[in-house]
Amino acid sequence: MPGIVITGLTKRFGDVPAVDGLDLTVRPGELVALLGPSGCGKTTTLRLVAGFMAPDAGEIHVGDRVLSSPGSVVPPERRRMAMIFQSYALWPHMTVAQNVAYGLRFAGIPRAERTERVIEILRAVQLAGYGARYPGELSGGQQQRVAVARALVVEPEILLLDEPLSNLDASLREEMRFEIRRLHERFAITTLYVTHDQAEAMVISDRVAVLQRGRVAQIGAPSELFEHPRTRFVAEFIGKTNLIDAVADGPGRVTRGRLRLRVAADGLGAGAPAVISIRPHQIALSPRAAAPAPPAGANALAGTVIRASYLGDSVDYQVGLDDSDVVLRVTGPTPPRARTGEPVALTVPAEACVLLPAED
Amino acid sequence: MRYLRLPLVLLISVLAASATPASAQDPRLEAARREGKVVWYTSLALTSAEKVAKLFETAYPGVKVEVHRTGSQRVLQRMMQELQANIRNVDVVHTSDAGHYVLLKEKQLLMRYTPAGADRLAPGFKDRDGFHYGLRATVNVIAYNSQKVSAAEAPRTWKDLLDPKWRGRLVTAHPGYSGVIATHVLALVHLHGWDYFKALAQNRPMLVQSAVDPAGIVASGERPVAVNGGDYTFYQTRKKGNPVEIVFPKEGVPLVVSPSAITSFAPHPNAARLFTDFLFSRELQQVLADSEGLYTGHPEVKYPADRPKLGDLKLLPVEPEELEKRNEEIKTRFVEFFGA
Amino acid sequence: MAEAAASRRGRRLAGLDRAAPVWLLAAAALVLLILLPLGWLAYISVSGPQGFTLAHYVRVLADPPLQRALWNTVVLAFWSGAVALAIGAPMAWLSARTDLPGRRVIPSLILASFVTPPFLGAFAWVMLAGPNAGSLNQLYRTLTGADTPLLNIFSMPGLVFVVGIYSFPYVYVMITNTLGLIASDLEDAAAILGAGRLEVARTITLPMVLPAILSGFILAVLQALALFGSPAILALPAGFHTVTTQMWSFFQYPPRPELAAAFSMPLLLATALLLLVQKKLLGRRGYAAVGGKGGQRRPVRLGAWRYPALAGCLAVLACAVFLPYGILLKAAFARAWAQPLTRENFTLENWSFTFLHGATQSAILNTLELGVLTACVGAGLATLLAYVTNRRLVVGHQVLGFLALSPVVIPGVVLAVALFVAYTRPPFLLYGTLWILFLAYLTKEMPVGYSQADATLRGIHPELEEAGRILGAGRLRVLREITAPLAKSGIIATWCFVFIGVIRELSASIILFTPNTKVMSVVMFDLKEEGQFGAIAVLGVFMLVMTFATVALMQALLGRDVLGARPSGGPG
Repeated sequence: MPGIVITGLTKRFGDVPAVDGLDLTVRPGELVALLGPSGCGKTTTLRLVAGFMAPDAGEIHVGDRVLSSPGSVVPPERRRMAMIFQSYALWPHMTVAQNVAYGLRFAGIPRAERTERVIEILRAVQLAGYGARYPGELSGGQQQRVAVARALVVEPEILLLDEPLSNLDASLREEMRFEIRRLHERFAITTLYVTHDQAEAMVISDRVAVLQRGRVAQIGAPSELFEHPRTRFVAEFIGKTNLIDAVADGPGRVTRGRLRLRVAADGLGAGAPAVISIRPHQIALSPRAAAPAPPAGANALAGTVIRASYLGDSVDYQVGLDDSDVVLRVTGPTPPRARTGEPVALTVPAEACVLLPAED
Repeated sequence: MRYLRLPLVLLISVLAASATPASAQDPRLEAARREGKVVWYTSLALTSAEKVAKLFETAYPGVKVEVHRTGSQRVLQRMMQELQANIRNVDVVHTSDAGHYVLLKEKQLLMRYTPAGADRLAPGFKDRDGFHYGLRATVNVIAYNSQKVSAAEAPRTWKDLLDPKWRGRLVTAHPGYSGVIATHVLALVHLHGWDYFKALAQNRPMLVQSAVDPAGIVASGERPVAVNGGDYTFYQTRKKGNPVEIVFPKEGVPLVVSPSAITSFAPHPNAARLFTDFLFSRELQQVLADSEGLYTGHPEVKYPADRPKLGDLKLLPVEPEELEKRNEEIKTRFVEFFGA
Repeated sequence: MAEAAASRRGRRLAGLDRAAPVWLLAAAALVLLILLPLGWLAYISVSGPQGFTLAHYVRVLADPPLQRALWNTVVLAFWSGAVALAIGAPMAWLSARTDLPGRRVIPSLILASFVTPPFLGAFAWVMLAGPNAGSLNQLYRTLTGADTPLLNIFSMPGLVFVVGIYSFPYVYVMITNTLGLIASDLEDAAAILGAGRLEVARTITLPMVLPAILSGFILAVLQALALFGSPAILALPAGFHTVTTQMWSFFQYPPRPELAAAFSMPLLLATALLLLVQKKLLGRRGYAAVGGKGGQRRPVRLGAWRYPALAGCLAVLACAVFLPYGILLKAAFARAWAQPLTRENFTLENWSFTFLHGATQSAILNTLELGVLTACVGAGLATLLAYVTNRRLVVGHQVLGFLALSPVVIPGVVLAVALFVAYTRPPFLLYGTLWILFLAYLTKEMPVGYSQADATLRGIHPELEEAGRILGAGRLRVLREITAPLAKSGIIATWCFVFIGVIRELSASIILFTPNTKVMSVVMFDLKEEGQFGAIAVLGVFMLVMTFATVALMQALLGRDVLGARPSGGPG
């Protein structure tokens, strides 16, 4: 089972670089999600890996083979990969069984065995007995499973998925996330998974690579990305967060106007610009009258609730800090502790204030 | 009935002739059969040309006639355009513009061949060097629709046509297409000068292409009076029961002798000679005179009683050399006056 | 070292698209097809015995009769465009947006007008509205006792009328397709803000349809510019030339192809310019802005105007279809077409004469041969090219798409002049063979074929092919096993479009034919010059039958209206 090593990958459309010197390693058997907003280059990267395009610079290695470099691209049909497309790309003029069996013809598998393997894989994706149907006769979720079966049946070295769940409705999408994770754990194929949905990426992946402007902004396990974003962009893209532009002010402290905060780590000289990220659920909120004393080293802030929104399993507050222009989002438990217009006290542990470089 | 009788007579006589052993082993026929066909570019009216071809094919089974009928000027244009592209297709060329044969002879594109009996043709029907012979003749006439125009008000002379009362009621064929009309224009230019056509154009005649076409236009009544056109086409139209009357203007009628020749590059020379002999045979010349209403140069041909004798008409002949020289002028000035 | 080099070469080979020769060949064929003749055309227009010269241009542009021909063409094109607009726009609105009775039948009748060869229509109108013998004028005289004809078809207005009634479908199609994309909710949005019905039409609907209206007008103008048959039949008898008939007469003996070439440049320039304007119009806020085909469309109630509106539509269709077809049928069976079709006047002779006449037989065979051959090669090449451009397979694919569409700006007569010049000299001596006609047709039909094939391939998601590639199928195999089966009906429709275009082609054929390579349209034109109305009518009826059989086949395959117009209320 080979892995993928991508170095310095670059692809320009006209003068605009879609992928711009991207480095990425996918370990054998690992599932890595390429996550990013539209236009970040994630789909282009996937298509470069599939061999549908030639890179302008950089190389793509799978195992010890160089599959893509600017002058030479192994065509997709000789890459021993499989791909699941956003549109599923099921051939409407072939039955489910014909669709699934198509790739087996090129894998040198005898006819009799092909049939067997088709039946087996259809069972694995819970579509036993659907072989004679045409794709047009299936529901969206079933079509999705056929696409998965068609990709897995050839036992590819590499599996590529391009936003495979984006055409499904919300509940089915959630179900399919676990399904894909289950299949990955069963077959353990090295997988590259493109998505713009961070929740999806976090459920499915071993590691997530966040892409920004054609490069990997940060790669890591979901928890690592969430808890230790290295850039403002990653912090914003993975989960909700409060970002505060401030200035370093002595060791472990930043200021913004009258607001002073103790922060987790520090390497900045006094007067250097800094950005602080605080996750809304790491802020404790209580009515000012009934506020407990803050633990030592935590930041104690005073503010007024601008709006409290009841979300069922949590309450979302917007709190304007006294003597400051900063408005913080705070996630608190139900039932609501404070109403709109009520003065509140906020407690933020210093470790929750993650210091990020001011510029990405 | 008469319509049927002559071809039948002809057919029988030809069959009788071919039944004789001498003819069966005629080396000319054998050579022609080996060539298989003769390609005939002709300006003879399509129906007439097709009839001639059928008669020949009946007389000489095994030799096909490929008829390509279009206006005289187009025949020449086609032939020259093909030669330019190195295409040698045509065996026998027949147009109504005698000037063409001056040009073709000069360019050495004709084969010298005198068909059997052609030496007896009338003087105006023979090339003195023996390259081409007049296959048929027609005269340009005025014709009118007798339902739309009474005999009393019908034009009697070429000049009558200049009367403003004919404005919008005339039709003319085109010298840029038809050799019959090119000859007609030159003859009338001799008679009345270019001013005649300038004045005629004031009456805004409808322009058609072929000298065959005015007959149909007059018969349908689209324009009641034709200012030119081969008299044989009006004669045929009239015989079909159409209300068409022919006028032979007193000033004289332009005579059009339409030559036929074999090309120097004929791909089927034997078939071409056989066909040319056939064209000038008394039988075929009689058919042309009889059912087609054409005049010929053959001394033994009899004409239908309802046709005036060529000798009784005041003829306006033109010199082929002059026709050749002034060809461009005729077309240009005609277009200048009539617009297209 | 050597080993490394070898493995690198191996990699390079492995990386090569093995189907590349196919794409390159298709591209090269297209370039040769279009650039070679046009190159020659430009070359001979500026070359004289002493090398470079502008003498031909000076001669054609300074000559008063030729200037008149140019002006006549401008007048004809503008006014027939205007007629097409005046007919096409209201009919489009009526059949797409109102409760007009019979609005489901009207598109098929408009289709009939669309596929009628314009020269055949012109010919039929000679019999209908010749100033004296024309049936309509005779009827008019009998009814009113008038002296003057109702309509003289041999005149500029007559020509404009005939060209207009056969080019209005371009306007109609452009507008109905756009109207079909404007959901009523866009109009409702304005209505709910307080706009009245007229106000909605003026401020919402009209501005959205305006680009379609203008570009339909331009298409109709382009048609009129390029036409040869109708002016040859109607303008020449009236004593005036248009650019196309004038170019054709440059080929009379002695032929002057250099003058024809120089004279074709203004025409070429005008069409290119118009097309550019049309593209700009559509590009800026055309279809893209008219988003969303969903949404209900409620027909506008015409009320008391229902039947008058229907009568108007039927009058137009009578002029374009019923009357011409009627008179053609009559002439095909009549001894004298201008007389009533009595027992004495009835005959089958026209049919036997037409089909036994040697030139006709070989012309029909030539036409069918060329039709089938051009349709096969054309549909194949157009599909390949559309595939190459859609999937961006070669460098410069945008140029390729542009080239494939570029013959639109080349009127048939100009194309024929160019081909004549290019293929009467080494290395390609094709004049006198069917091949030169084949090349002319292939080039002329390429835009139609290409846009049809392009639409077909656009409808096939590239991921369907990529799914095959990644599973191990090479590009050609994917093309054969996945793309081709999916594109099948679209390709056959392309075939039909090309076939219909070929069997009616006159304007290029009239210059390129030789006696052995005549086609039906040329024989009809020859017969016209000789006044053989019955025989032309027979061939015309035959040609229409072939055309409609092909259309029926196409409609069955596409399962929709061939014009692409959505019948209102029906599925798209």
